[in-house]
Amino acid sequence: MAEAEITFTLPVTRRAIADFAVAVGEDNPIFFDVDEARRQGFPDVVAPPTFSVRQIFEVPREEREERLGASLDYGRVLHGEQEFIYSRLPVAGETLTGTMRISKDFTKEGKRGGSMRFVTYESMFTDADGAEVLRALYTLIETSKDPGS
Amino acid sequence: MTAPTNRTLTSVVPGMDLDEVVYGPLTRDDFVRYAEASGDDNPIHQDEEYARNNGAPTVFALGMLNAGYLAHAVSDWFGGPHRLRRYKVRFTTRVWAGDELACTGRVVAVESGVVKVGLEARRRGSGPDGLGLDEEEVAIVGEADVVLPE
Repeated sequence: MAEAEITFTLPVTRRAIADFAVAVGEDNPIFFDVDEARRQGFPDVVAPPTFSVRQIFEVPREEREERLGASLDYGRVLHGEQEFIYSRLPVAGETLTGTMRISKDFTKEGKRGGSMRFVTYESMFTDADGAEVLRALYTLIETSKDPGS
Repeated sequence: MTAPTNRTLTSVVPGMDLDEVVYGPLTRDDFVRYAEASGDDNPIHQDEEYARNNGAPTVFALGMLNAGYLAHAVSDWFGGPHRLRRYKVRFTTRVWAGDELACTGRVVAVESGVVKVGLEARRRGSGPDGLGLDEEEVAIVGEADVVLPE
């Protein structure tokens, strides 16, 4: 029986922020230099805008599939869309609480006979005070077995 | 090497184009580095044989790596990552090792102090041998909402 949502934690560390920032070619000191981040008014270095994708470390794909029960066939799945809605960026030293659920699941007939199923996993991240930090919407597209070529 | 440009709300008008930023050429090492930093260890982005056995001619960039570069460009155009209020991307084609990723943006509207930006990331390169890809293709269509100081 599938669960309605998965609750998990997302630690935000200086090391994880630096590694992630380097991986997307960043050199803005706001990600690397605590003094500079503080000078700009932040309590510590800030996480890059797409940093919360690291939630996959906390809830791997297999666990997500098993617990939320979308039954996707990953041989036919593409990452279609991604959206982030920010109240603020996470900062190093905090641990966010994430709550993930399936917010959309629908099938569209394709132009060439096949169909496409869109499944959106929506994760809401809150801070230690319970305030919303950001939301992440991860949309997968499952193509039909017979794409109708 | 790019640095954030500080902008004020009054300096931004609809129709304004942001300067193109080009990242890359992307390498397989970039794919591995991003996989490790992001936690997405799908072997289709790292393992040549796995990719071939799963319908891809060779390994290709993680979509969120490309989206990470595009977010980097948006951050630099508008004074830093903390200016973002919303960032949305739709993936339209794969990006290959050897490709450059050219990021462009245009201010679409300014509504109640929020700057609405249309985004595009294009792959630029010859692509894997034998695929006959166009030299340039749109890999991401995106949009961002940005807030700026007065």
